[in-house]
Order: sequence, then C-alpha cells, then structure tokens
Amino acid sequence: MTKILLKFSEELVDQPITSQIILDLRVPLNILNANVTPQGGEILADVPSKDVDRVVQAFRERGVVVAIQRGIEVDEERCIDCGACYSICPVDAISFKEDNSIAFDDERCISCGLCGDACPTRAIRV
Amino acid sequence: MVAKKIRTIEEINEKIKKGDAVVVTAEEMKRLVEEKGVKVAAKEVDVVTTATFGAMCSSGAVINIGHADPPIKIHRAWMNNVEVSHPGAAVDLYIGATIMDEDRPFEYGGGHVIEELIRGKEVEFRATAYGTDCYPSTRVESTLTKDDMNQFYLLNFRNCYQRYNCAINSRDETIYTYMGKLLPHFGNATFSGAGELNPLCNDPDYETIGIGTRIFLGGARGYVIGEGTQHNPRNALGTIMVRGDCKKMAPEFIRGAAFTNYGTTLYVGIGIPIPILNEGLAEKTSVRDEEIYTNVIDYGVPRRDRPSLGRVSYRELKSGKITVGEREVKVSPLSSLKVAKRIADTLKGWIEDSAFYLTSPVEQLPGDTVFNPMRQVKEIPFVEDLARPATTCNEEETIEAVARRIIERSVNHIVVVDGSGYLKGIVTSWDITRAVANGRKELSEIITRRVVTATPNEPIDSASRKLTQHNISALPVVDSKGKVLGIITSEDLSRLIRG
Repeated sequence: MTKILLKFSEELVDQPITSQIILDLRVPLNILNANVTPQGGEILADVPSKDVDRVVQAFRERGVVVAIQRGIEVDEERCIDCGACYSICPVDAISFKEDNSIAFDDERCISCGLCGDACPTRAIRV
Repeated sequence: MVAKKIRTIEEINEKIKKGDAVVVTAEEMKRLVEEKGVKVAAKEVDVVTTATFGAMCSSGAVINIGHADPPIKIHRAWMNNVEVSHPGAAVDLYIGATIMDEDRPFEYGGGHVIEELIRGKEVEFRATAYGTDCYPSTRVESTLTKDDMNQFYLLNFRNCYQRYNCAINSRDETIYTYMGKLLPHFGNATFSGAGELNPLCNDPDYETIGIGTRIFLGGARGYVIGEGTQHNPRNALGTIMVRGDCKKMAPEFIRGAAFTNYGTTLYVGIGIPIPILNEGLAEKTSVRDEEIYTNVIDYGVPRRDRPSLGRVSYRELKSGKITVGEREVKVSPLSSLKVAKRIADTLKGWIEDSAFYLTSPVEQLPGDTVFNPMRQVKEIPFVEDLARPATTCNEEETIEAVARRIIERSVNHIVVVDGSGYLKGIVTSWDITRAVANGRKELSEIITRRVVTATPNEPIDSASRKLTQHNISALPVVDSKGKVLGIITSEDLSRLIRG
C-alpha cells in the first residue's frame, strides 16, 4: 500500500470526486484521515501500490493536489530516544528496539500527527 | 550494624591509577549478581556506574559575563529573548530552564539557550538597568558565546529523582502536563526515571552519594552539592543538587526540550559511580526493576493530592504496557534509557582509562527530611463554593418550553438531563435564538452533546481555564458518574474577582 495525501480547494469540496474515482477506476481507497470543511481540506488514503499512478493521475486531472506521503520524518540528530511518542501512537507504528532506541514503521503510520506535539525535542515532523 | 568494609575509596583510586579497577555498569552488575551471587560480585567489582537522562525542570546555569564599559548593574536581561534572572551582583545571571521565549512561548526557553551555548553557538544578549553612580549604563546589547563567559556552570536545584509517578488522565480531553501529553479516558500513560539504573535506587541509603561526590554531569565532571529540593528520603523519593562546568559539557547529554502547553525544560545526563565498599552495596546495586514500585496517578484531577489508581513496578513500566483497573494502557518513558545506558558506559570508560577518580562525600545526604506542602493562609475557592443549582430540561421538551424557562429563571444555560438527572447536553439562549432564526423546530437538533464540565472539588482557576480554552460561558458541575449537581458560569467567576 502507498499513502497519498489529497488536497481539495474550496471550489472542489462540493463535488464527489473521491467516490467518483473509486467507481471509475474500481480501485479500493482506504481513507485513513480526513479533514474537509466547506473551505477545503485534506484526505489521507491508502492506495494499492500497483494502482498509485492511475489514481494520482485521476485526482490531478480533476484539480486535486496530490502528494505521495512518506509518513513522519524524524530528525535523528534531535531525537533522544525517550519514547514520549510511543504511547500516543494509535496504530502501534512506534516501537522500541532491543537497544532502547525508537523505531518508526512507515508502513503502519497513518500520518495522524498525534505524536508530533508529544515530542519534547521536536524531532518529529508530520 | 555497620557493614564490613572490603575496600576503601583510596584503594579503589589506587587501582584506577594503575588501570586495574574493575568497573561494571549497573546493568552488568545485576547480571553478575544473578549469576555469581552477592559475595562474589562484591569481591570482584570495585565500582558500579549508574545513570539517568531525564527532563529536569529545576535546572539552570549560573553565568558571569564580565563588566561592560561604561559598567552596568543589570536589572533585567534576556538571551535569545528568554529572560534570564539576575540573582546577584552586577553581571551574574541565572538561565532558568523553564523560562520561555516571550515571542515563542512553550517552544523555546532557557533549556534551549543552555544547549545552544554548550554547542558553541552565539546568543543575542540585551540588558536594562536603572543606572547608579558606580554603574551608569542603563542599556547594553551584545552577542555572546560560552567563551565570552567567565563562569558558565550548570546549577540544578533538583535532579536525579530516585523514582517518580506514572501519569494517566481520566478526563474526557487530552491534557498537556509536565509528564507529557496524556490522552483522554486513560488512553496512555507516561513515566519518568531510569528505574534500576538510577543512581539513588542503587544507593538508597545514600552511603556513597553525598556532598562532594564527583559525578558525570552533562558529559563533563560535576559534583553533588547537597540534597535536592523536595528531597523525600522516607518515601524513597530522594533527589540531589548538582553543579558542573557547562563549558566542558556535550550537547549529546544536555538537551533543551519543550513540553507542549506546559513549557520548556532541560534533559540532563547524570552518571554516578558507586564504589563497592562492602557487601551491602553489592546487594543494593543488584536491585531490579521489579523491586522498584511507583504509583499510577490521575493527572486529570487538577489538585495537589491527585488520586492513585494503583501501583506498578519499573519492570511493568519498561515493558511498554501497564494494567490500570481492567484496562491495558500503553506507557511511554519520558527519560531516555538509551542515553542513560550510554552515560553508564561512558563513565565506566573514563574510570577504566584513569580519567576519573572517586571521592568520599564530605557530608551525607539527609535521610529523614520531609517534603511538606505549602502553608496557605488564604482560603482558595473551589467550584463547589461558587456553583449554583442548574436550570434543567429533558430532551423531549419543546424549544418554546425551554425558551420560556430561560426567561422565567433569567439564565442563559439550560442543562439537558435524563430522567435520573444525568447529563445529556446543554442548550444556551443563543442556541434558541439561532433555532428561531433558522426555523428549527426540534430541541434535539440544537442540543450540544459534547459538554465541557467541572467537578465540585475542582479549583476555580481550572474551571476558568476551561471556559477560556473552549470559548464558552458555563460549565455544568457533575459528579464522577455524570450526574448534574449544579452549574458554574463566567458571571459567577467575574463576581468572585470583583469581590
């Protein structure tokens, strides 16, 4: 699976673009996170990796800005491996390795951002 | 009974000098005692290195920046826009880790200033003064690095807590505390401290750690200068006060940090060598996480005495999950065990390389002091002192009936309850006005169902914070089960302030 971030402008939010694309391409999109208001918004979705190109193209043709997501970014230099983020993660994407360092699983991460403001050294960018 | 001495600090230092001292980390000591027993371990090992790396708010640095010309007797001063306090004569300053940048509060503070100076970076400095005959200047501005300072010493009032609470949150909202981000409804927990690696846990009677003990502090040599503030030995909650030369420290072991909506702090790396002078110390340094317990405390209750929801061992805490009541809850350490282990290893290396010698304390830490609460001479009001009976309705009533009640009772908030008086929602006079304007007919359509509430024993300041944070003007007062006991409004609060 690959995560894509869809950004809808104010002009687009009243159109059923996402469901139209699912129906047209017959690709199952799993919506992980959505924050859409009448002023526009964002949807984070999982797409089967083999279909990413078609799906991205379809959204872009309809005026949606698409970013291919890579989960959270961790500044290794700032991270002190304290683990403040560990218990916040709702999908168990953060774990401890044998040597007490923190491991981030990009595959599991849904980019919800909950861990960002839990990081005391601000090493996490979502 | 005095434990039989098997070696002295002088003898250990002789061995360190020759490169013969046997040094193990606290982790290795525990394994050794498990394998070979206390007697053998006591015979073999000279020194055990212990460590911790955690957020320590009572941290800061004393600096002396030299005299300007014309001279200034500083009244107020700032470094990178963080106010530094002026505790003494003209140019002595103290950078407090928790003081925040006035333009970037909660993100940048004294802890970050200390870290940046240790990294060798330049900081913006400005100061003001009232001017005297001997110190005529009233303003000065400059940029400073650690090399420009005569003294730059870490001076921490309280460090190295023997153990600490495990924090959890019973409220229905996320709270941000000095114990980090706590999710609603017991959604996660946090703890601090290194458990079996913590220096004071390995010397719980403060036999070898006392005034004058030489330690690893922030990557340099430092000293214990006394018991820390809030030192509470009777409850195994000892602390130490420390001092060390920041100019020699390494940013790897001293880090500025920001706890969202709480404030800034400093992560401080401390390593303490424990000389194995007798078998008792070998036994004490074999302490395991499963023997060190702490309480799970509900930080959702904004009071000094927060309720304890149970006891957990550091073994459970370090496993990543604890059980609270029926629930399994993920638990985050806030201290870095990885860095603590690196400190214990580094200190071990220093001693093996004859670069660090042990000291005998010149005075023991007190073992019987108590940590008393503040003496308060003025009564602080709580929600129950100000709450009044709530005007209520049930969900089946009509908008008209509720509107009439608002006028009859001259209130702005109607609390929606079920047949047994439990909270179901709230309706305000504004909701009614909007319903009329929009032609809505059903009360159920206009009820706000996610209601922010207060409890009777909550401080007024906490209720007032909720009103501001959520931009609302009243809080139903409920018991722990959600039964409505009354209401407290912003008008009640402003009346209190006016007296």
